[in-house]
Amino acid sequence: MSAQSYTAATSVDEALEAMATGARPIAGGTDLVVGARGGKAPLPDALVAIHRVSELRGIREQEGGLVLGALATHADIVASSSACELFTALADASAIVGSHATRTAGTIGGNVMNASPAMETGGPLICFDAVATLRSASGTRRVALTDLFTGPGRTVAEPGELLTELAIPTPKDGTGSCYARLEYRRQMEIAIVGATAVVTLDGGTVRDARIAITALAPTIHRVAEAEQALNGSDASDAAVHAAADAAAGASRPISDVRGSAQYRRAMAAVLTRRAISTAITRARGGRFPIPASPALHGAVNGGAA
Amino acid sequence: MATAEKPFIRQDGKDKVTGLGRYTADLDMTGMLQAKFRYSDHAHARITRIDTSKARALPGVFAVITHEDVPDVRYGPFVQDRRLFAKHKVRYEGELVAAVAALTNEIAQRAVELIEVDYEPLEIVSDVEAALQPGAPLLHEEWASYGASEDVVREGNDCSRSTILKGDPDKGMAEADIVVKERYVADMSHAVPIEPHAVVAQWQGDRVTIWSSTQVPFIARSGVATTLELPEAHVRIVVPHLGGGFGGKCEFHYEAQVAALARVAQRPVRLVFSRREEFLAPDHRREGQVLELETGVRRDGSIVARRGRLILDNGAYSADAPFFPQLAAMMAAGPYKIENVFVDASLAYTNTTPSGSVRAPTAPQACWALEQHMDSVAGQLGMDPVEFRRLNIVKNGDEGPTRQVFEDIGAAETLERAVELIGYGKELPDDEAIGVAVGWWPSFGIASGAYVKINGDGSATIITGAQECGTGAVMALPLLAAEILGMEPESFSLLYQDTDAGPFDSGASGSQTTFNNGRAVMAAANDVREQLLDLAAEQLEANRDDLELKDGAVSVKGSPTKSVTIPELAEAAHGSTLLLGRGADAVPEMPASDAAGCTGRLGMESFLAPTFITHAVRCKVDRETGVVRVLEVAAVHESGRVLNPIGANGQVEGGVVMGIGMATLEGSLLGEDARQLNPHLLDYKLQTASDSPPIHIGWVDSPTKPGAGGPKGSKGIGEPPCVPTPGAIANAIAQVTGARVHQLPMTPARVWEAMQR
Ligand SMILES: Cc1cc2nc3c(=O)[nH]c(=O)nc-3n(C[C@H](O)[C@H](O)[C@H](O)COP(=O)(O)OP(=O)(O)OC[C@H]3O[C@@H](n4cnc5c(N)ncnc54)[C@H](O)[C@@H]3O)c2cc1C
Repeated sequence: MSAQSYTAATSVDEALEAMATGARPIAGGTDLVVGARGGKAPLPDALVAIHRVSELRGIREQEGGLVLGALATHADIVASSSACELFTALADASAIVGSHATRTAGTIGGNVMNASPAMETGGPLICFDAVATLRSASGTRRVALTDLFTGPGRTVAEPGELLTELAIPTPKDGTGSCYARLEYRRQMEIAIVGATAVVTLDGGTVRDARIAITALAPTIHRVAEAEQALNGSDASDAAVHAAADAAAGASRPISDVRGSAQYRRAMAAVLTRRAISTAITRARGGRFPIPASPALHGAVNGGAA
Repeated sequence: MATAEKPFIRQDGKDKVTGLGRYTADLDMTGMLQAKFRYSDHAHARITRIDTSKARALPGVFAVITHEDVPDVRYGPFVQDRRLFAKHKVRYEGELVAAVAALTNEIAQRAVELIEVDYEPLEIVSDVEAALQPGAPLLHEEWASYGASEDVVREGNDCSRSTILKGDPDKGMAEADIVVKERYVADMSHAVPIEPHAVVAQWQGDRVTIWSSTQVPFIARSGVATTLELPEAHVRIVVPHLGGGFGGKCEFHYEAQVAALARVAQRPVRLVFSRREEFLAPDHRREGQVLELETGVRRDGSIVARRGRLILDNGAYSADAPFFPQLAAMMAAGPYKIENVFVDASLAYTNTTPSGSVRAPTAPQACWALEQHMDSVAGQLGMDPVEFRRLNIVKNGDEGPTRQVFEDIGAAETLERAVELIGYGKELPDDEAIGVAVGWWPSFGIASGAYVKINGDGSATIITGAQECGTGAVMALPLLAAEILGMEPESFSLLYQDTDAGPFDSGASGSQTTFNNGRAVMAAANDVREQLLDLAAEQLEANRDDLELKDGAVSVKGSPTKSVTIPELAEAAHGSTLLLGRGADAVPEMPASDAAGCTGRLGMESFLAPTFITHAVRCKVDRETGVVRVLEVAAVHESGRVLNPIGANGQVEGGVVMGIGMATLEGSLLGEDARQLNPHLLDYKLQTASDSPPIHIGWVDSPTKPGAGGPKGSKGIGEPPCVPTPGAIANAIAQVTGARVHQLPMTPARVWEAMQR
């Protein structure tokens, strides 16, 4: 641990000023502080807290889409009806981050900028064509999420750049989406295998399919072969299977304490298939609930597990 | 309802839930220093040089110590094979080479890194079977010269071997219609109390007070006295609140090293462990096991013979694991009627962290293997697994594996109630099934003592040596005294957690607090009761035999107006002879057994006041991923007479959830270099509150005869609840998938792999 200086900004300009002299932003601290305590990396010498910057809060609808302030928490996202209806895969992802406490403290900005290859919201944001706004003392630029991640823990952002918001265009009518993660227990999981599917149907035909895999390569990425297997198809089981197998084929899993490469590859196919099937069900208007925050005994709204 | 059976609120509850409660790591003292350890750099190596000069020279460092700075004493409860600091060799990754006390944690850490240690690496032995092969490198070349209890059978890397022999197993096996032989492997797992270890030591002259997060303060005291060569009267152990233990805080750990640092530094010193250190520390983990089980049955389902070969992982040094082989052998025989039994169990030294008494040591793993094996045998017989158990489970008058004759037991009743509670046989979705497992566990009769004193106003204080780790066992002691004294439990204060105050007690281990200290408190209360009656007889000028003590007063039977209250008696006593009771009840005798053919007898050849348990679990298995969810558990226990239902149910709930964790996720993996690969809670996954299923609890009331058990015919309760859960889950998994998982924990990947075969 051991940060030498800490300031709490009350505006974006104040935050940018601190960052211009080398301070690192801290939002919920659930990656930065927990990582430092666990010995992953020491705290940076200078920190600027951004949790009091009201400009960075909230989720708002705007012409053609939704804008997530960098400080929108996972709990905020799950509570937003627009997010749940239009960007269901994103709500799926935020709903299963950590535990109740993590979802209340952890922000979307922190999740994205921490750039873990196992983080939850990356796959959905990439598939939804989200664009990040990066601001620094010297200007503002917009970067598509597909181009943001460059490796584990690395992004294209320069040290002085603050993520202020994420803009996501409204998907076309007939779109359904899903993010699915392999889970060994009901809370406090880390993605060992994750899959995103965003599927737009036109009549019975798949007009546009977006498929991304998580925790299966150094960065989260879309899988063109899987999308091709689905595009133009009739969304049949055979097409879904082919897409899922293509996603598994494109994965580059490692063997470690969380699972063998062989198991992960097999699970990549299973999870991708489940994500696609659910996305199709949702595109057809079928109900498939977002994972509610699991509670004691796994009871969800009084229902059984 | 007797006072003792009424629900009550524990005295320390409010402090704990409001955050007022103080734990060891919360203690702060003027001038206090922080301790850090230098750990071994290899799992097995000879030390050729230790140079602490650079660490000593670092500003802010007050003490750097190694084996040279403490007496050259080997210690250990059964085999004296360990030292406070490594001297010639290191034998596992968590072994201590040196310790530092400095102004801050950061300085202490830097100093630890400045200590230079040269090693000559040695061949690593991490596999228990390889360890026992002829020609395997010896962890302790000088093992034969170590002090050890006479009954421990040792040979090279086999640190303790026990056998159980009954009848003629070879002949029995030859007569069987069906013989089933299987092999199971359990990985190491951990106790994982939420509070990591902490120790604070402060000297005053030649006496030291040590605050420690220990479950066993008296054992810690004798450990410090032995290793630092001090009289026990110079060592005082005080235990602030404990944030859990599960056996991981049994044995003597670190109190002596921190005391030694504080003596050199001439300041108080505090040690607080990180989670990683907690995983590497000795005696906090459940031993791995390799079990080969073979059972011969007749077509009618009766068992003719059982043979077993067990190898348990001791780790690099011995704490109380030397008695595990005998215990595990009893577990592998199981609570079944079997005419012919031979179980051969060994304890292998390996270059891994030493094993310790984690909640019901050996039992959940051995029971997991045996109960899967029982289901396999039933499958070969074409018999329903519950029916097979019903036929073979022990009943009153039956003989155990060493011919102990069972009396007043309710094992079969636990089986019947559990299958009834879960609805065994009901229609289930295709991906669900019910698994059943039976287990047993002894009570431990150990010396224990307590005092009860009546204060001047008629309130009372219990002074006890008992320690608790959060179970509520000590908190419930006033119930027992209150009933005897006709008082309310709320009128008692409790003094415990201090070796200078209470009489000896073996601590929060072996489910023994209520069992032994409960009897001591009752004896002390009865002692005071006699004194109260004597005094009342004097005051009321009545015949002592005509008096009764009830509702806070002594009165003459039949004439209630002739009475004197306890406060009045207390006031009188404070003008003459004080009311002071002492209690140290005789330890119950071990039941008779015939262990003539058994070797390595370390006290487990018969089970005192044995508990019997059946768990029935309903599980759902995701056949594509291997993920198992436990949906519902029925846990029925025969623990003699239950004294405190809230406390007892709490133990069952916690034990079942611990069992689910062991079954599905909790296990340590080792690298080539014998280092743990997942010594942290990100990848050593505990169960969360959301994972815990509804648990239906049942108690079979079957009190022991007076003198054969605990207070009022009770038995130990703390450990048994985690015993059969993993086995029951395993059987449910096999029902759904048609595949047995032969390795514990049964992680999703292992369940999935079993299905691919
Ligand atoms: C118990 C636990 C469970 C978790 N489970 C999950 C999980 O299931 N899935 C998952 O994806 N994550 C999980 N996490 C990780 C973490 O909670 C999330 O990534 C969270 O969204 C991070 O947000 P934060 O605000 O806390 O980030 P912080 O820790 O404050 O910041 C993280 C990083 O992003 C940078 N940063 C933050 N905000 C900005 C900004 N606006 N502009 C530029 N840089 C910024 C910081 O400098 C830092 O490098 C878990 C964490 C914990 C402690």
